[in-house]
Amino acid sequence: MARGSSTLLRDGVPFLHEKQIEAEAQVLLGEYADAHAWQISAPVPIDEIIELYLKLTFAIEDLQALLHVDDVLGAIWFTTKEIRVDVRLDPIANPLLLGRYRFTLAHEAGHWRLHRQYYLEDPNQGKLFDGRGQPAFVCRSSVRPPAERQADMFAGCLLMPRDVLRSTWQQWRGNLDPVAVQQLPALALHAEAKRNENVAMERFCRPLADQFEVSAEAMRIRLENLGLLLREVPNTLF
Amino acid sequence: MPHNRKTFGQILRQKRIDKGLSLRKFAELVGVSPTYQSQVEQDKVESPPTVERLTRMADVLGEDRDQFISLAGRVADDLPPIIQSRPDELPKLLRTTQGLAPEQLRQLIAQAKKMKEKEK
Repeated sequence: MARGSSTLLRDGVPFLHEKQIEAEAQVLLGEYADAHAWQISAPVPIDEIIELYLKLTFAIEDLQALLHVDDVLGAIWFTTKEIRVDVRLDPIANPLLLGRYRFTLAHEAGHWRLHRQYYLEDPNQGKLFDGRGQPAFVCRSSVRPPAERQADMFAGCLLMPRDVLRSTWQQWRGNLDPVAVQQLPALALHAEAKRNENVAMERFCRPLADQFEVSAEAMRIRLENLGLLLREVPNTLF
Repeated sequence: MPHNRKTFGQILRQKRIDKGLSLRKFAELVGVSPTYQSQVEQDKVESPPTVERLTRMADVLGEDRDQFISLAGRVADDLPPIIQSRPDELPKLLRTTQGLAPEQLRQLIAQAKKMKEKEK
C-alpha cells in the first residue's frame, strides 16, 4: 500500500505524488500478472483484478436510490470489502459507457490500495447505513476532492500502463514524438473541434481509447500526463 | 433454514469465483446482463432464473444441470410432463423413494436403466 507524507489532506488521506500513485498501480498490475500468468497488455482485465485478485465483492446496484446521490458512479465499503457500481454504468445496457464502467472499477481499486488504511482506523465507519456499514467513499462525477483525484490518477495509470501505452503509441504513430493540438487534423475538419481543444484531442485519441477500453476523455488525460499529447507546439519542434 | 446456510445467490457467486470468472465475463457467457447476474447473486430477483438460464449457468460452471436447477428452487422443464404422463404410478414412486439414502437411489436408477434396456 502506498505511504504518503504525514500531512493529511482535508478528506483524511495523505498527499501522494503522481509518481507514488503510478508506482502503486504498477505494483498491482505486476502482482496480478504474476498471480494469473498474464502479460501486462491492453485492455487491462479490471473486472478480474477486482474480483479474482483483490477478492472484493463486486455488485451492480441502483446506487442513486441506495445512497440518495444523483450522480454517484460507484462506492466502496472497506470493512465488508465491497465495491458497488451504479446500474446506469452497466456496459451491456449502455455499451458507450464501457470505458466509464471500467474506470469506475479501477478508481475503486485505487481507493482500496491507496486509502483503506486510513479508513479502517476510523471508528465512525462502523455506523449503520441501510443495513451495511457506511461506504468509505461515494464516488460522484461532479465532486472531486483530493482522495477522488488520487483514485482517478490511479485508475488512469492502472488501465493505461505507461509502457504499454507508449509502445502502442509508437506502433500507431511510428515514433514516440508528441502531438500538439494545433497539429490535429480534427481541427481543420470539424468546426466544433476548433472551439474545443478537448473535443479535438479526444477525437484524435479515440482509436487508442477503444483499444484500452477507456473513454476518450480518460485517454486524452493520460496522454497529456505522459507528455504525448500537448496543448502547445513546443519550440523544439521548429 | 439454518442461519448459516448459504443462499442460491451466495453459492452461485462462490462457484463463479472458483471457476475464475468475473461477474461481467460470466454474464456474457450465460447471455444475461451483468446487472441481472448481480441481482441474482444478491438474491434480489423476484423469482429464480428460468430453467433455460440455470441450464446455461450450470454448463458454464461445469455443474450437474438437475442439481443446479434444484438448488435454485426450480424443477427441470421435462419433469412435470413426465410425471403427468403417468399420474397413478410416478407420484407414488417419488413418494415411496423419499427418504432413501443416495446410494439406495443410485441402485434404483441402475435397476430402472437395466429394465429399460431389456425392453429394447
